Amino acid sequence: MIQKKICMLGGFAVGKTSLVRRFVTNVFSEHYQTTIGVTVEKKTVMVDQQDVMLMLWDLYGEDEFQHIRESYLRGSSGYILVMDGTRKATLDTARLLQQTVVRTVGPIPFVSIINKSDLQSEWEIDQPAIEQLREQGWPVFFGSAKLGQGVEELFGCLATMLLSPASPPRTCL
Amino acid sequence: MSSDPHSSRRDARSSDGVTSVDEDWTQLRTLLLAPERTQLDELRERLDNRSVEPRDISRVLPEAFAMRGPGDQQMSTVLTPYVENGFTSTVRKSPQVIVDAIAPIMGPAIRQAITRALQSMTEALNHSLDESLSVRGLQWRLEAWRTGRPFAEVVLLHRLRYRVDQVFLIHRDTGLSLHHVAAEGVVVQDEHVLSGMLTAIQEYVRDSFGASQSQALNQFQVGEWTVWIEQGSRAYLAGVIRGNPPASLREKLRDVLDRIHAEQADALASFDGDAAPFQTLQPLLEDCLQAHYEAPPRSALKLWILGGAVLLVCFWWGWTAYQAHARWTHFLAQLKVEPGILVTSANPTWGGYHLEGLRDPIAKDPLSVMSEAGIDPSTVTAQWSPFYALDPQLIMRRAQVMLKPPSTVQFRVDGEILVATGSASTEWVKETRRLALLVPGITQYRDEALIQVVVSDLLNQVNRTVIHFAPGSTRIEPSDRPRLSALADVLRNLDQAVAPSGERVRLAISGSADDTGPAALNVELSRQRAEAVLAVLGGAHLGPSTTVTTGVGGGLDNRGASTQYPAQRIVTFQASIESVHHDSEPSRP
Repeated sequence: MIQKKICMLGGFAVGKTSLVRRFVTNVFSEHYQTTIGVTVEKKTVMVDQQDVMLMLWDLYGEDEFQHIRESYLRGSSGYILVMDGTRKATLDTARLLQQTVVRTVGPIPFVSIINKSDLQSEWEIDQPAIEQLREQGWPVFFGSAKLGQGVEELFGCLATMLLSPASPPRTCL
Repeated sequence: MSSDPHSSRRDARSSDGVTSVDEDWTQLRTLLLAPERTQLDELRERLDNRSVEPRDISRVLPEAFAMRGPGDQQMSTVLTPYVENGFTSTVRKSPQVIVDAIAPIMGPAIRQAITRALQSMTEALNHSLDESLSVRGLQWRLEAWRTGRPFAEVVLLHRLRYRVDQVFLIHRDTGLSLHHVAAEGVVVQDEHVLSGMLTAIQEYVRDSFGASQSQALNQFQVGEWTVWIEQGSRAYLAGVIRGNPPASLREKLRDVLDRIHAEQADALASFDGDAAPFQTLQPLLEDCLQAHYEAPPRSALKLWILGGAVLLVCFWWGWTAYQAHARWTHFLAQLKVEPGILVTSANPTWGGYHLEGLRDPIAKDPLSVMSEAGIDPSTVTAQWSPFYALDPQLIMRRAQVMLKPPSTVQFRVDGEILVATGSASTEWVKETRRLALLVPGITQYRDEALIQVVVSDLLNQVNRTVIHFAPGSTRIEPSDRPRLSALADVLRNLDQAVAPSGERVRLAISGSADDTGPAALNVELSRQRAEAVLAVLGGAHLGPSTTVTTGVGGGLDNRGASTQYPAQRIVTFQASIESVHHDSEPSRP
């Protein structure tokens, strides 16, 4: 089975862990995230009749007090940027994180997801901003950790991109 | 009219002078010889253009090297600078490539050197353990001798018991699991997630301590588990070990990792998430799942030790018993020759001995004989019946005890006859003649050679003695010294003569001076003359029954001279007998 290292990145409390927790093999508690800044989890998805094991490095949320350890990004095949729709600042954080990744490991495949779609009425990230992201080539998904929406598609899309980086599926864009 | 097509064709010329026949021939020649012409053109071209084609060289280069190589240093000489330059350039630009290439070779060589260094340390440890003399230590020493291994190694093997539970082969950059093996019965969590977390922990530690990429977390311990990590250039091995692993295990992990890097160099370099190529490493990794358990008890060895201990105890007991018996035999022999002691029975009892026999009351105490023979008196019970022994020395001792002879009397035992010689007072002689035959073992008493001394005669001899002095002198003249010596003998005889009767001798030594000079000086002179005489006699302790006083003889006149001996520089003696009654005074029977 193909394995890929994926980093979960995003601002503080955007719902990275909540998004994936229900869908992953959970071995370690969240305690490790606050201790060493990362928890490694596993998610297997199927792409073109082929299983792909995504090793998810769920990094501690980036905020003004704590920055991600760039050494954790080393060896990543792709990454997921998570934003909180109700906090526009998380979009800026995601942009900075994306630049950090490019600087550290290069232009590797990634997808982004705006979380908390169940609270869409309270969103601060508006449609023009989303369109702007898409124009910059960001695959943008919408999801809800609470409802469990959008996660499977998110991982499936990223896995597809990892296996065929030259021709990303249209559904991802 | 007929026409020749050939002639007409031969005659028909084109405007440029070429006839149609020529064109036909040319056409025909072209059709027939085109391939050959092409080849000819190529050959001509190659002959005209002598430049060498790389493709041609590539075909013959290996053979050319093979032909020139053996026995021809010219090829090496020519190529060496280029190889050196290329190597130098590679080292500068891509050192990692060189590291990856030589790591599998250098690793074992370096470890071998370190092993040799550690071997000398092990020998030092061996020396330090030489002093250990426990039963277990002796057992291990025996094993070391039997197997030919250093003692320290045997000790380590026995002390370090461990089991490798799991071995992870993890891709260094991605933290992805390349392969994983676990010992039978070990509960394994998700090896993929564990691989990621192990990598994350290493990155965390490295970041936290500001370590470089070449420095890594090589070991950590959790309870009874130890995780040993061996770092490679592309992948690392993590062994989860229960117990205390020996250093040789780390060498094993290192060897396996080096082999993996050597055998799977391409797969590691091009790893893109597919761990399938590493499935072939299963036997290699399983080889790391070593275990060392407690050696089974060696009953034969224990029996030997037990037998040895029993023999030792028996030997100790036998030796102790032999020594005790030897002491007891020696003690009995001593008793046998001891006068006045007759052993009638000597039997060993539980934890000691019992003695029965006869003992003269004045014979030597058997307890002191026991102590001299090294026997604990508390282990011996004795029952002695009293009797009178007729050994000459005991008869003599008994006579001494019963008759209490003065020091001037000597006894001798001839068979059953007691012979007394020397001198003694008349009273003692009389009393001894009465008592001597009561001494057990004495049937006859003879004292013909014993001089009887009369006390009154002795007193007269003393009282008649006068010592003269020069004017103003306290010095005893040499001519008087023999007289004083004789006087001392008389006084001793007197003392011993009165001793048996319980009486005492009182001796007064009186000095006197003439009437010249000051009175005080004369008194002092008189006193000093008396004391000078006493000193020559031997001091105040002339005998246990004699009391001595010194002073000035008689009364004093106004000049300090004695009124009893006026104008005489002399010392006189006044001995007398006085009766003293003491209840505690020993008496003869």
